[in-house]
Amino acid sequence: MTEALGWKTQGMSAYITELPIREELDAAHAAAMAEWSAPGTWWTGAQRLAIVAEVRRARDAEPLAPWQAPSSVEGLVSDGHALPGPIVDVVWRLTNHPGTLTADWHASILARGVEALAYVEVVSIVAQVNCVDRFADALGLERMSIPEVQGGEPSGEAPADAEVRLHWVPTTDIRGPNVWLALSGVPDELAARSRLSATQYVDGEAVFGDVISDRFSLQRVQMELVAARTSKLNECFY
Amino acid sequence: MLLSLSGLHLDGEVTLDVINGSSHGDGGVVHGRLLVRLVEAMWEGDPGPLAAVCDEILAAAGANVLVDAVAVSANFHMMTRVADGTGTPLDSGTDEASEGFRDEIEVNDLVSRRHVPTG
Repeated sequence: MTEALGWKTQGMSAYITELPIREELDAAHAAAMAEWSAPGTWWTGAQRLAIVAEVRRARDAEPLAPWQAPSSVEGLVSDGHALPGPIVDVVWRLTNHPGTLTADWHASILARGVEALAYVEVVSIVAQVNCVDRFADALGLERMSIPEVQGGEPSGEAPADAEVRLHWVPTTDIRGPNVWLALSGVPDELAARSRLSATQYVDGEAVFGDVISDRFSLQRVQMELVAARTSKLNECFY
Repeated sequence: MLLSLSGLHLDGEVTLDVINGSSHGDGGVVHGRLLVRLVEAMWEGDPGPLAAVCDEILAAAGANVLVDAVAVSANFHMMTRVADGTGTPLDSGTDEASEGFRDEIEVNDLVSRRHVPTG
């Protein structure tokens, strides 16, 4: 697809391509991968990169039915896996069947010993990896390679006011649409998700505050059409 | 809802049934049908049709539009997982404002339907 276009190879940090990928978008993807390799709030760098690898395995595998947990399929999750079985199940279900999730399913995951805010961090990483890898896949680019793990321990810092309010998960008392609040129980993840959205869609307050200005090469209405159809295909009511 | 609002200043009418698929035309959006086909090809993940629609967008709209449209769709593969992984309910303002067209875009029966609890 890109061979006949004749653009100068850009050779930026995340992707090597002739396509005109904006510098800030390329940098945001490279930064995201670096962050995944570092300790987070609840998971080590090694565990976070294992989540990245598991998202890729889930996407590339023969599909499982939504109700079929990979940890229950013989041979799919090895005894020495870097992630607990329930987390592998979350990664696969959220990657391949996000529209089928229910409050009962979420409760069943926590009942298997997953901490509520540690679960939020997993959701954030899975969502981000799906974003970054699907971008690369669609444009025929090589997915970013998984880097070396950065050492250190998770901070374990929970916001003092994090509690279950409107969502299944604990959130903090910040202003904004409910989907912004969704990751607020793990502030670093909210920030990471926001940085990706700012380079790929619309920045913060402008999502609802300015619904007519064009952005990048697209009219806002074109962006909203793409957003709406993507959300519908993912069977997302929100 | 943002699709409707973002099209209010344009000539012509933006129609919401295009959310249901590319067979519904362009929805009153420039290159609308092509963009919907791109989103559908990304979701299906079959390399052949995906490359074909990418080539069509390159020819019709240019490489910047292709890259930016892919980036927007990828962003919403992220946002839908954030919303549905955390049990995010519809914002109360959106809930009321979208009531009139949720049937048209065929979302009322989705498993992921969640409203803010009342009372």
